Formats: sequence, C-alpha cells, structure tokens
Amino acid sequence: MNNLNLILAGVFSTVAASFGGLLLAGHAQLGALGRAPAEEGGPLFPSLEPGLAIQGRQVYLQLGCVACHTQQVRPAGQGSDIAQGWGVRPSVARDYVLQSQVALGNRRIGPDLANYGARAKSDAEIAAHLSAPAAGSAMPAFPTLFNQGKDGSLQPNERGTALIAYLKSLRQDYSSPEAKLKQ
Amino acid sequence: MSQENQPSRPSGQGRPQGRPADTGSPRISRVDASVASPVKFFFASALLWLLVSSVLAVITAVKLHLPGFLNSCEHLTFGRLDAIQRNVFFYGWASNALIGLNLWLLASLGRFEFRNGWIATLGGLIWNLALTVGIACVLIDSHNAFELLELPRGVALAFFVAFLLAALWPAVAFVRRPTGQVFVSQWYILGASFVLPVVYLLTQLMVLWCPTNGVLQALVHSWFLQNFLLLWLGASALAAVYYFLPKELGTTLTGYYLSTVGFWTLFLFAGWTGPATLLGSPVPLWIQSSGVVAAVMLLIPLTITSINFFGTLSRDSGWTRAWNNTTLRFVAFGLVAYTLAIALQIVFSARSLNAIVRFTSFAAGQQQLLTYAFVSMVIFGAAYYILPRLTGAFWPSAKLVHLHFWSCALAVVVSVAGSLFFGWTQGAALAAAKPFAQTMQPQEALLSSACAVLFLIGHVAFALNAFGMLTTCSSSTEEARQA
Repeated sequence: MNNLNLILAGVFSTVAASFGGLLLAGHAQLGALGRAPAEEGGPLFPSLEPGLAIQGRQVYLQLGCVACHTQQVRPAGQGSDIAQGWGVRPSVARDYVLQSQVALGNRRIGPDLANYGARAKSDAEIAAHLSAPAAGSAMPAFPTLFNQGKDGSLQPNERGTALIAYLKSLRQDYSSPEAKLKQ
Repeated sequence: MSQENQPSRPSGQGRPQGRPADTGSPRISRVDASVASPVKFFFASALLWLLVSSVLAVITAVKLHLPGFLNSCEHLTFGRLDAIQRNVFFYGWASNALIGLNLWLLASLGRFEFRNGWIATLGGLIWNLALTVGIACVLIDSHNAFELLELPRGVALAFFVAFLLAALWPAVAFVRRPTGQVFVSQWYILGASFVLPVVYLLTQLMVLWCPTNGVLQALVHSWFLQNFLLLWLGASALAAVYYFLPKELGTTLTGYYLSTVGFWTLFLFAGWTGPATLLGSPVPLWIQSSGVVAAVMLLIPLTITSINFFGTLSRDSGWTRAWNNTTLRFVAFGLVAYTLAIALQIVFSARSLNAIVRFTSFAAGQQQLLTYAFVSMVIFGAAYYILPRLTGAFWPSAKLVHLHFWSCALAVVVSVAGSLFFGWTQGAALAAAKPFAQTMQPQEALLSSACAVLFLIGHVAFALNAFGMLTTCSSSTEEARQA
C-alpha cells in the first residue's frame, strides 16, 4: 500500500460513508420535523417558548448547567428515568425542534431537567434551590442571580428571573404523535 | 561534556531515551534539524497547556465535593471551568503534542527534510493564539452545550487554518516526496491529519454556523466526538506505537501484513460509532443500532492491533525489555489501556449494559482510559525519545522521569478504576429505583481530587525535566542545520 493518494482517497471515502449514512440520512428523516398536534386538529406541540424563557436559556448555557444536567428522558426499557419521576413519557425528537441549541447533556451529576417545569411547584421553590441548594448537594449556590431585598431576603435579579422562567418552561408532559401519554 | 549534560541513569530502568548506545554527546541528524523548531514549539506549547489543564482539573475536582469553592464569581462556575479544562486538555495538550509528534514521525520515517518549517510553526502560533482567545471568551462570557465545541465560532476558523498549515501541509508535502516505502505509521498519520479538519469543519457548519434541526445537532456532535477521539487522537497515537515498538525492541511486528486491514477497518467503522453513545436518546432507533453495530465491528481493528502489539511484546522477553526502556514503558502502558478502552466501548454498547452506566461517571472513566491512559501516555513516551534528538541534550533528571511515570500511572489507574466502579454502582442503584439523591457517592469526588493532585505532581515533574532540557539545549540544532 504505497500509493498515498490512494490512502487519502480511501480515508475520504470512509469519512464520506459515515457522514452520508448517519448525518445526511438522519437529516433526510428529521431535518424538516416541526411542531404537530397529538390528534388531528388539536393544538401544536411543543409550545412556543416565552421570550423570558429564551433569555433564560442563555443564562443556563452561560452558567454551564449542561455539565451536570441532562434534558432527555429515556424509554422505560432503557434506564430508569421514568421510574425516577423525571418524565411521564420518553423524549422524542419533536420535543426539541424549537430549540436553536439543543442541550441534551451527557452526564448527570444532578437530576434530569427535561420535564422539570412540570414537577417544580413554584417560582419560589426554584429560587430557593438556586440560592441555597440542599445540604449534601453537589450543586453550588448561584449568588450572582440574586439581589438582596430591603428585608434581607434574596430576590432573583433579571437573569435569575429569566433562568427560573426557562426552568419552568421545560416540560414534556404533553402527547405528541410519536409518544402518547398513557391514559 | 559538562557535568550538567551527564546522562542520568535511573536504576532498573535502563538508559534514558535519546542517549546513544555508547557514550558521547547526542547528535542531531539533518532530518531532525529540519523539523526541530516546529516540533519543539508544539511540544513546549503542549506542556504549558498540560500544566494549565492539570491545575484546572484540581479546581473542578475540588468543586465537586466543596461546591462553595471559588463560587463567588460567575466566571468560575463548575460548568465553565470544566469546559475550559476539557478544551485545554484536548486542543492545547493532546492536539499540540500530536501535531508535533506526527510532524517528526513523517520526517523521520521518510528521511524527509522539510523545507519551510516556519509554515508549521506559523500554524502552531495561530493554533495556540486562537485557543487562548477562545478560552478567554468562554471564561468571560458563554459557551455552547456541546463537548469540545464550546469555543466561539471564529476560533474554529482559526483552528482550521492553523491545522492546514501545521499538519495537513506537511502531510501533503510528504505525499509529494520523490519515492520511498510507506510504513503503517504514515497511513495513520495521513488518515488522522485528513479526518480532523474535514470532520471539524463539517461539525462546526452543522452545529454552530447553520444549526441543524433539534436533536440532529446531538447526532452530528456524537459523530464529531467519536471521530476526534478515535481517528484523530487514537489514530495519531497508534501511529507512534507502530513506530516505537519495533524500533525500540529491534524487531519486526507480529502479523505486520494484517495492519492494512486494521487500518481500514478502524477508519471505516470508527466514524459510525457516534450513535452508540446516544442509546436511549431521542434519535431514530435505526441510527442508534447502526452505532452499536459499528462499535461491535471495532473488534476487528482491536484484534489486529492486539496481534501486532502484544504478539511483538510477547516475543524475546519483549515485556521485560519494554519495562526497562523509558519510552516503551509508557507506550506499553498505553497499549494495555487502548485495548481495555476499545473492549469496554464494544461491551458497553450493548443496550442493556449501556442503560445502566449511561450518564454516570462510567463514561468519563472510559474516555479517560482512551485519552489519558492511552494517548497521553504514548505522547509522554514519544517525548522521552524525541526531545533529546531535537535538542542535543539529555533529560536532566532520572528521578523526575520516575516520579512522572509512577504518579501519572497510579493516578490514571485509580481515577479510571474509581470512575468505572462508582459509575457502575450508581447506575445499578438507579436501575433498582433508588432515589437519585441517595445514589450520589461523595467518596468519588474525594478520590477524583486526590487523583487530580497526583496528576499535577506528575505533570510538573515532566515539565521541569522537559523545560530544563529545552532551555539548556545547546546551539547544536543550529549547528546541525548549518552543517
């Protein structure tokens, strides 16, 4: 195998094969995926994100939350995500079509957040967790997201409010054509 | 020869690499002199980045069990520092060192005197400048969500230009050399030097410049990551192993004729293994299954490299001789790690096993096994061989060589074993429906911190030795070039 041009041509072919076979074929299947109703004539899902949540997504990325939190619920036969209460159904590709940058994540030092908005009780609870996480948690407090109020309590500032709005917007508790909620 | 240049002789470790068999000062060949400047530049840069990465690794490890550590400033959150540490390690340390190593191997194997070596040095300057700017941007503002794509988009363009100058240009120049036999190391270097810029550019386009729809971004990223790990880092390190093992043992490789098949099957299947890291994710099942099949097919190149390397080491007291040779001690360590890493990748691409360990520290342990225990250890071994030949000086301290090997070897063994063990136990506890908060194991973070400190000690020892050599090297490089 002394012909180096042949080696380069061969390597190019191997890269082209995986690029075409995985990415182009995947694009052909999912590239035009958009919002859709669970039943014909129903409302379109996923819902459009509120503006504040879009700003909060930037805060989420800036803080590097994706290093510890995933946003994907695996099917029941593939891990215990649903048994952990992180979602009511597995995540599907359609859930992410509105996200300009998908933050699926690949490590869980903290719990999954794909459906966090559905299980968070209130803004105050989320704010309390961000300002003073539970003892023993590996999560740090985020003091820069809060201002001190006149009464000494911590109040979310603009970025903190946006992040809370984003976390509340994380919901996968609706039926989609690919994943129906169990009755 | 002055006293400072007297070669050190580590007990029970044979003579330090770079020293000729008999006494006498090390000589620099014309071929080595032609690439000395860029290769030394790349290794020196890599070393500086390795030190930065080691310090950052200590900070991030401490943050995992002391979340309040350095927490008053938003720039120093765990997520940002973790991303910076990763980029510094992969683009600063590993890539710099491998570009330099590949350059030297191409020149050395082809007996090929590079002209215009300044072009490669210019590429190195652009590469390191771009990385510095990129790290500053991540530190100051934001980064995106994908591992090893955190640097701003503009930096990627600079990386691309730099890589063309520093790595692809020498490869093309090599292709255009008059005649000569081609060795298996050269195939791997050419393949790796071609894959990285192409894959990196396509990924940047599809994830950052013109983002594809939804989860396709994650698919593209997984494709990039596996290509980067296996076909850039892995293939470059394999090229070095194919060179140093027979060279230092003074023998031929067992089953050398099989290496062609090993090369092509690695390049054919590695690019398809990305989706095997997305099992259970919201990507189509057929894509996930393709990844699993490709991962299993890695058994072919793994078997062939095992025959090549372990067959060779098993002959004529090869293991003992490798242990007594500084370069081969690191290389053999790396080979065992490579075999384990690929074997684990194959086994844990099975859906049932992957379901247990996915998202735990198990995957981090697997990655460290490949990128540190294999790639970095091979780079260390190569540096012990190459730098004396480029500087005309000996390694200043044998004790530091020992300290480097033992601290890094111990750290990586404990760190990887800890990640695999704690990852598996956490996954098993989660599978048994134990609440997530109760599956976290604080001992794991403590162990990571201890290992990070041990890594730092080893890297400081290596850097002291290497910079001692680089700064005291005589003008012999210049003399050789003039000769």
